Amino acid sequence: MRKIKLRPVLLIALIFIQCSIDDVSNEFVEEINVGKSEEVSVLTNTDSKDTSQTSFNHQAMLMNWADNIIIPSLSGFESSLIELKTKASEYTSYPNAETLSVLRAVWLDSYLKWQHVEMFDIGTAEEIYFKNRINLFPANIDRIESNIANQEYDLDQSSNFTSQGFNSLDYLLFGLGENDNAINDKYASENSNYSKYLIEVIDKMIALTSEIKEGWNEEFRNSFINSTENTSTSSVNMVLNDFIFYFEKGFRANKVGIPSGVFSDLPLPDRVEAYYSKKHSRLLALEANKAIRNFFNGKYYEDNEQVGLSVRDYLDYLESDEETKLSDKINNQLDSIDSKLNSLNPDFTQQIIQDNLAMLYAFDVIQANVVLLKVDMLQKLNINVDYADADGD
Amino acid sequence: MHKIIHDYYSRKKAHPATLAFFRITFGGLMFLSTLRFWSKGWIETLYVLPEYHFKYFGFEWVTDLGNFTYLLFLLGLISSFFVMIGYKYRLSVITFFLVFTYIELIDKTTYLNHYYLTSCLAFIMCFLPAASYFSVDAFISGKRATAIPVWNVDAIKIFICLVYFFAGIAKINSDWLLEAQPLSLWLKSKYDLPWIGQTLMQSKVTHYLASWFGMIYDVCIPFFLLFSRTKYIAYFFVIIFHILTKIFFPSIGMFPYIMITSAVIFFDSRIHIKILNYLQSLIEKIGLFFVSKSLEINLKPKTIAPNKFIFTLLCCFLFFQLLFPLRYLLYPGELFWNEQGYRFSWRVMLMEKRGDITFKIKDSVANTYFYVKNEDFLTPFQEKQMSFQPDFILEYAHYLGKHFNDKGHQNTQIFVDSFVALNGRPSQRFIDPNFDLLKAQESFSNKDWILPLNDEIKGL
Repeated sequence: MRKIKLRPVLLIALIFIQCSIDDVSNEFVEEINVGKSEEVSVLTNTDSKDTSQTSFNHQAMLMNWADNIIIPSLSGFESSLIELKTKASEYTSYPNAETLSVLRAVWLDSYLKWQHVEMFDIGTAEEIYFKNRINLFPANIDRIESNIANQEYDLDQSSNFTSQGFNSLDYLLFGLGENDNAINDKYASENSNYSKYLIEVIDKMIALTSEIKEGWNEEFRNSFINSTENTSTSSVNMVLNDFIFYFEKGFRANKVGIPSGVFSDLPLPDRVEAYYSKKHSRLLALEANKAIRNFFNGKYYEDNEQVGLSVRDYLDYLESDEETKLSDKINNQLDSIDSKLNSLNPDFTQQIIQDNLAMLYAFDVIQANVVLLKVDMLQKLNINVDYADADGD
Repeated sequence: MHKIIHDYYSRKKAHPATLAFFRITFGGLMFLSTLRFWSKGWIETLYVLPEYHFKYFGFEWVTDLGNFTYLLFLLGLISSFFVMIGYKYRLSVITFFLVFTYIELIDKTTYLNHYYLTSCLAFIMCFLPAASYFSVDAFISGKRATAIPVWNVDAIKIFICLVYFFAGIAKINSDWLLEAQPLSLWLKSKYDLPWIGQTLMQSKVTHYLASWFGMIYDVCIPFFLLFSRTKYIAYFFVIIFHILTKIFFPSIGMFPYIMITSAVIFFDSRIHIKILNYLQSLIEKIGLFFVSKSLEINLKPKTIAPNKFIFTLLCCFLFFQLLFPLRYLLYPGELFWNEQGYRFSWRVMLMEKRGDITFKIKDSVANTYFYVKNEDFLTPFQEKQMSFQPDFILEYAHYLGKHFNDKGHQNTQIFVDSFVALNGRPSQRFIDPNFDLLKAQESFSNKDWILPLNDEIKGL
């Protein structure tokens, strides 16, 4: 009697063994891949469209993120800040129309580079509230002015998070006077407190960025790329949760939603990024969208022609038997966002005042991608959003 | 027929050791579960900290007790321990049932089938002579039962069979059997399991095998557990099945352990007697029962007479359990999508559903609106559960309506922009975006403001 009952068990066991033998060869290749370094991710990518893959190399994806995207973008951002410091020193020494325009140009360059850094709110960056100290807006100009007047302030205090970073620089470089001459005058006097504050804000940004870069040392990088499992604290889950959080808050809400009045009774046109420049808010949003697309598709920070294993590849692997790919939908939606943003006024403030409806439409186009990322993508990846600790069944 | 029932009711007997064994394991597991829940800090995160709790329809009066919620759990700990040792059993088990059920009713966000299972089992145990043998009560009274009416044991057996059976037939649907969903989604993401993660878990064959095995297991296991010839091999499968679920889905919590220990009730009573005797010898060794030796000898035999009221009540309860999971048949539309009649029906680990929802607060006269940041009102866990369950969405809309009206908003209308993805399908709009949710009230009637699923799931 018992022997007969056991037969189906043996059958299932046999099928299981059969399957695992089929897959052993793949596993072997997998291990070789892991053993090597960066070149592998490039190699793997060339056949990332190959739907016959039987496993996905999570570690190669993490290496691509760390070595080709996160760390290079931090380095690029850091050197742009050092350049910013140089130009700021030149400007404060000789504040005139020319030095001001040079300084504004490097400020913009650095601000654009920041758009590639903000989404990676992990490790030291998360611990020291990096993104809040670099890009919280609107800037608190009363606080900035009182800091400058009193000369008593501590930029490390959270109450000063809105009086430092890019939007404070935006105020200091564009908003101090009626015109450029009036601005230059503020820096003209010897030992100008404005000059001192300008340099200190930049110094603080450099110090913080160096700290983050230091945080991405060999040890952290290695633990990052080895944390391949699917748990609430693993690298893949944390980075993707940060990515989606950034898309929803840092990108959708902060850059478009809040100023267009989506979350308030009335529009708030002074809440745009780089408000005082009066011309860069659209450019910054477009750059952020580009950074989002680069990360999603695994493009190298320094050379967008090169790609490594990415979320897109991971999705394509999971959807290898699907006709329409979610990754294509997401990329198409990112394209739509791009063209929608491009149709807006370069200065979102003007856009909101003149025709806020177009701004609200842009919000809707971005929101549609929140759904694709947060619902469709995370379902495919089976990753929990904003991990909540409780039992399930 | 009447004679058969009467014979069954009054003549057929079971050894009390079976029920005593069940009482000890159930009480012990509940004690451990409560401790575990407490140690994970969930009392605070799930019951004390949230400003708002989602209520079960008809149980809106159940509220959290703030920091006194800890006292509820303490009461649960003490009563489950007393159930285990069989001290003041009736009072203890009733207390445990009430406390546990009350806690579950505080917030439906935390609904789990196995919490409902626990409440049901505790309810049945309130009426059973489970402390008539091998218990402190028996020791104190100096009497112990030699036999109990068999239906006392059968009530639990039948109930467990119903749970399995309904869990099984719920899996007879095209998503589960023909698409291997949601197991395909879930198992693929277990790539981090050693050995099998990158191999077996990635293979479509595994997903289908697991789906079919799960369905066949659930449907058949009650019958195999009931027949004496097959029950031990069936129990072997019980262990394999639940251990596997624990490995694949660690977040499933205590469920596997509850099922594995509960199913021991199907064993022959001689085994229960043996285990209890062994337990007694252990107790003697430790010297815990100072008079343990006399336990065996001095207790006078006691007969447990069948009780008509209890018999009828248990029959009604089981009949209710037979019908209640089928209530979904009364509703139109796709059950997995609308979730009308989904809960309390043993649909365990049955679907993968996620959503994203934005609430739009509109002033119908001024024609202005703004969106709500859900995180201002809900915990991440509540927001997640709310985003795809219609009754949560409606309840939250009314909560928001009251909140903003209290703040002085006028002519308030509430619309939602909501998208849900089910079992790997692309997300689609979930709630009619032009329907003012404040116009609907929670009830048992059909929620016609849910947009239909653009697909058909065939099956039971």
